[in-house]
Amino acid sequence: MTTTPVLEAVDETLETQGKPPLNVIYEWLTTVDHKKIGLMYICYALLFLVIGGFEAVLMRIQLAIPNNHFVSPQVFNQLFTMHGTTMVFFMGMPILFGMGNYLVPLMIGARDMAFPRLNAFSFWVSAFAGFLLYFSYIGGSGLYAAGSAPDVGWFAYAPLTSKVFSPGHSTDYWTLAVFLSGIGSIGTALNIVTTILCMRCKGMKMSRMPLLPWLYLVMSGLVFVAVSPLTAAQIMLTFDRYLGAHFFDTQAGGSAILWMHFFWIFGHPEVYVLVLPAFAFANEIIPVFSRKAMFGYPAMVAASVAIGFISLSVWAHHMFTAGLGPAGNTFFVFATMVISVPTGIKIFNWLATIWGGKIIFAVPMMFMVGFLFQFLIAGLTGIMLAAAPFNWQLSASYFVVAHFHYVLVGAIVFSLFGAFYYWYPKVTGKMMDETLGKWHFWLFLIGFHLTFDFMHIPGILGMPRRIYTYEDGRGWNTLNFIVGIGAIFQAVGTLILVYNMIRSYYKGKEAGHDPWDAWTLEWSVPSPPPSYNFAIEPTVNSRRPLWDLKHPEDPDTDYE
Amino acid sequence: MQEAQSTQGHEHEHRSDTVILPAPTPWPMVLALGVALMITGMVTHWVISLLGLILTLRAIVGWFFDIFPHELHVAVPVQTGVMKISSTRTTREQLPVSASHRQMLPVETFSVVSGIKGGIVGGLAMIVPAALFGLLKYHSIWYAVNLLAAGGFVSWASETTAFLCQFHLEGLLAATGIHAFTSVLIGLLYGAMLPMFPRKPILTAGFVAPLLWTGILYSALGIISPVLNERINWLWFVISQIAFGLVCGFIVNLQVKVRTPQFRALPFAVRAGIHSDQPLTKDDEL
Repeated sequence: MTTTPVLEAVDETLETQGKPPLNVIYEWLTTVDHKKIGLMYICYALLFLVIGGFEAVLMRIQLAIPNNHFVSPQVFNQLFTMHGTTMVFFMGMPILFGMGNYLVPLMIGARDMAFPRLNAFSFWVSAFAGFLLYFSYIGGSGLYAAGSAPDVGWFAYAPLTSKVFSPGHSTDYWTLAVFLSGIGSIGTALNIVTTILCMRCKGMKMSRMPLLPWLYLVMSGLVFVAVSPLTAAQIMLTFDRYLGAHFFDTQAGGSAILWMHFFWIFGHPEVYVLVLPAFAFANEIIPVFSRKAMFGYPAMVAASVAIGFISLSVWAHHMFTAGLGPAGNTFFVFATMVISVPTGIKIFNWLATIWGGKIIFAVPMMFMVGFLFQFLIAGLTGIMLAAAPFNWQLSASYFVVAHFHYVLVGAIVFSLFGAFYYWYPKVTGKMMDETLGKWHFWLFLIGFHLTFDFMHIPGILGMPRRIYTYEDGRGWNTLNFIVGIGAIFQAVGTLILVYNMIRSYYKGKEAGHDPWDAWTLEWSVPSPPPSYNFAIEPTVNSRRPLWDLKHPEDPDTDYE
Repeated sequence: MQEAQSTQGHEHEHRSDTVILPAPTPWPMVLALGVALMITGMVTHWVISLLGLILTLRAIVGWFFDIFPHELHVAVPVQTGVMKISSTRTTREQLPVSASHRQMLPVETFSVVSGIKGGIVGGLAMIVPAALFGLLKYHSIWYAVNLLAAGGFVSWASETTAFLCQFHLEGLLAATGIHAFTSVLIGLLYGAMLPMFPRKPILTAGFVAPLLWTGILYSALGIISPVLNERINWLWFVISQIAFGLVCGFIVNLQVKVRTPQFRALPFAVRAGIHSDQPLTKDDEL
């Protein structure tokens, strides 16, 4: 017997054919289904990926040749600010939250997130934050005399953000939009943590939980700890700008270094907030396409938790040139280097999983191989930058830009693309086209390496980041031109992905419920899954419940 | 195996053929819009904030009545049908060394402890040529110690040779930390790497790896730290590296069992873990 009122039955699957468009729109606007919210996150993030990518291409066109006047210095400042802010706050986090929203309940055998309405609120507040940020483009010389697009960098260092150096409302748009997205991020993180801790199906002990929810758990914990200081800093900056407070006003006794501490206490763990889900995708895809169980499950869990903790003690390596003193520098050099240990464990475990496997080089696995290789290089340049003397020389150079794009694009985006190809059949019921996928992979891979391999060199040769243009004869011309070509390759590759997704939705082969012969619970339900996920709440006995169903003669239970 | 998408078994369900889910609601979206507009008013016009406030209050009331006194739900009909859970692929065939599908490869490898032991002993061995160099050239065993510590202390890179020849406690502590940490990491790397070269482990550990490592560092240190680059005597650096490699490799190899004949006979691509020796069957193709 139920004690709650029940409305008329409705069908909430993805099937929308035959419904009036307004009904479909209303259904999506009011949905509290974790899968639909996840898809809205992903679509919204893809929109911002295209916008942020377009900004990057504009910047590379500007820098492709010396003494270029394709855009003005002011516009260039706005471009790199908006590109960075967009990619971190309005592409990276939302798309990863979207994937988590979609996958976590399915993988733990739950019907929905713990707080479905909060989930919807978190999405919408994040979405409106993105629109607010881009609304700034029609400020100033646009429709409103209220400011213009932010131009203080995605890090918004003080005192650039003070009223003196940043009059009008451009910086306020940045502050308020990021503040708003922070509310959404914390809401989603809360939801993910609660869902994972409280809503696992029968038999799914923490030690049997798939690695993806494990990494989302750690990532969500990091969001709590990392986003809160940024939110506090934004409130303080708003006080500075609106109420005449002087937290970051150096002329009135405030401290610019204080902002740096606040920002990077958020900023460096944020890298792990972004990269942990990328690890999560690798953890699911690599074993399936190597046809082996994940090597070292307990070590992978321990390494993930260790990364979560250690990442909180590395922020000041972004501030070696700020004059922290030898003791501070030394501590953060070592803290930063220590994080290479759990990260190395992960890399070795992925390699050990592939080791001797029956590798199937489908597109998701190809992206994972790219991810492994590039993440390793990104880690190596990260260790170089963790050495204070090296950092002193190359801080604020293009070497640093190349390094963090190696992490953000080479690792995270590659892993994400692999995840798209892997879970697309589950979401839509259709397979993505493998040939187009390979075109996407190779174009993007070549473009990535043309861009970011070559970007290291002008950095070493002394090219500072964020410069609007440069003089001829410094040895940077050819390198920057190659970098620009690489950016265009990447853009074309991404457009192929978008085309492939749209085309496959209408013309793709039927996927069936388990096209990859996988082992986790989401592959036990129809594709796309019904709104209730599981007609009967499942019971699991091992880390690979579908293996047990497929191979009752040799279940995993006997080995765990 | 078969799993039926049954219509039974959920204790909160209203009817046997439905599942109870939270009802769709516009109020989370309206609340988010309200909050966003309240904030947007700060950079546009106060009227926008007022509109945001009105929407926020309305949404809070709407959301409240979605939940109290009872949470609003919908009953979703269950799709009935039979779903077959089965694998189209055979269980992965194993190398001849094991019949278990959970067998981890490589067949034999070093334990983590063996790498750590090798790193510690190799690190101790490396101190001897490094100290000897300082003693012979600068009449001080502290030169190499302080030069290493300069990796952590930025200002030390520009200090005089006389300064680097003196004893500094902080230099000793920093150098010990750097050296211990690096030695253990390299030891772990040796532990992971040496099984791939079972026939010539000492050659690999003692000469090939140190020379490769020194070559990389030699080409890069001029960029990483030109000051350190000028101060390092590369001959002694190579000797120290070889001392480390030989001792570390020896210690690591002491811990290991001999490779099985089957494993040695496998092609390099299989030993290096790039691919299984088992060809794909038709069923495995996607």
